Amino acid sequence: MSLRTPAPPAGREDEPAPKALPVVGRGKARAGRAMLEVAGLSKRYGDVQALDGFDLTARPGEIVGLVGHNGAGKSTFVEIVSGLIRADSGTALIGGEEPAKARGRIGVSPQNIALYPPITVREHLKLFGGLSGLRRKALTDAIDELTAALRLTEFLDRPAGVLSGGQQRRTQAAVAMIHRPALLLLDEPTAGADPETRQALLDAVKLRAADGAAVVYTTHYLTELTELEATLAVAKRGRVVARGTSAQLLEGLPGEVRVTLADGTELHESTTDPTAALMRLLADTGQPVVSVDVRKPDLDDLYRSLAVLDGD
Amino acid sequence: MATDALYRTGLMAKHNTLLRLRDPGQLISYIVMPMLLMLVFKPLYVTALKSGTLQAVTGPLVMFSVFALSIVGNSIMVEREWRTWDRLRVTRSSRAELLLGKTLPAFVILLLQQCVLLIFGCLVIGLPVPPTMGWIMLAVAVWGFTLLALGSALATIVRSRGDLGMVSDLGAMLVSALGGALVPVSLMPAWAQHIAPASPGYWAMSLLRAAIGGDASGMVRPALVCLAIGLVCGAFATYRLSRGWGRSHLL
Repeated sequence: MSLRTPAPPAGREDEPAPKALPVVGRGKARAGRAMLEVAGLSKRYGDVQALDGFDLTARPGEIVGLVGHNGAGKSTFVEIVSGLIRADSGTALIGGEEPAKARGRIGVSPQNIALYPPITVREHLKLFGGLSGLRRKALTDAIDELTAALRLTEFLDRPAGVLSGGQQRRTQAAVAMIHRPALLLLDEPTAGADPETRQALLDAVKLRAADGAAVVYTTHYLTELTELEATLAVAKRGRVVARGTSAQLLEGLPGEVRVTLADGTELHESTTDPTAALMRLLADTGQPVVSVDVRKPDLDDLYRSLAVLDGD
Repeated sequence: MATDALYRTGLMAKHNTLLRLRDPGQLISYIVMPMLLMLVFKPLYVTALKSGTLQAVTGPLVMFSVFALSIVGNSIMVEREWRTWDRLRVTRSSRAELLLGKTLPAFVILLLQQCVLLIFGCLVIGLPVPPTMGWIMLAVAVWGFTLLALGSALATIVRSRGDLGMVSDLGAMLVSALGGALVPVSLMPAWAQHIAPASPGYWAMSLLRAAIGGDASGMVRPALVCLAIGLVCGAFATYRLSRGWGRSHLL
């Protein structure tokens, strides 16, 4: 059994490697000025430094997966960019404007469910669509289109309070997307969601990005970001410590090979070369092998590697 | 732009009216209970006091209008419980639009409650029909505004609906009792008479009595005091609400 010190991830901030990477994929939509430009944001709550020089950009059509452990500053970042709270220092610009002036261009789906329990899904969408400038047919069309995309059509006339958790999550996202915002901030939109809800939300997010919206998507699930073809921004202690595609960030990180023997013994090795590791593990077993599991590096490995390098 | 602002304010008002209509219990109880009290206490007041009918109507009216400030408070508290206020703040609506749309239906409810009770007082309890309806409407509107501001301010400083219920119930009893809603101030103990003007209920009673009697000059001072209380509380509530709740237990 062997454990190796993880290799440094690509794109760490203390390397000359890029903070904002060259744009990958969906080239047309991502060209031009960034929709979201955040530089040096700092925010302190009492003794807690929630943000400490947070930088992030997102271009039209780009999906940025903002990942990090709880308390990394993701939600504070979302609140500042939404214009709900003010940063102690630093700048946040949406299409060149401060958040307070860009409200109609932002759509926010907060981490916690924030719906009116006695009000139906349709009434929610009429309210928030109307407050965001949609009228009559445009509003009706937007409701029809979005609820179809999010598989909410059959629940349109049900009060939010009687919906399941997944349906509430989708309604929450629909409220954020109803006015086709130029910047979509989704704070853990799939937390606790079932596979159907997750897929519906991912599909809707992809559609919005294809329409040209810049999306910042905070999550703990790397697989979602892979499906969204998102670039990653890893937040830690109030700042973005790594930025790039998942392939770039995970490159060089060890995954894990796990072998279970007939007597129940488990052998495992962290490795960047699964084949060689498997050969080594199987060489001296002398027992039948029950199962072999090869796990690719994931977000947890990335977090761990960052923690090791930061001396945590 | 002004049309848009008006539209958004109307949308918010409609939305908040819908929320009220789907949970009308408090309002019904704060209209029915004072009616019952008027009926039950009328004989006592009429026997004991020269202006017994006036006391029988204005006393429960003021007391339960103060209780009704919990309706205002609750309408704001639920936004905090449901975390919906911040969602509204992210929309294109200005703070003024959101606050106006939020408070307008509550204000109408407060006016409705007082008007229904006054009509009941005239038709059932035997209160003489006031000579000048304009003064009545003015008094009801001024007192309604004061209650609206008080309830909004209260909702921004309490930690929970339980706290709100406790403060508004105890406060309503204190404000209305000190103000002379249960017993005329002149019959209260000397110490209570001394501190009665500190209660908004005292000024509400004075205002309504003057308005019912058609005494315009008698309305001026109580109306100004009520307005002043309303403006101070309203400014405080507006300031707190425009900031949102953030991560605090309070605003």
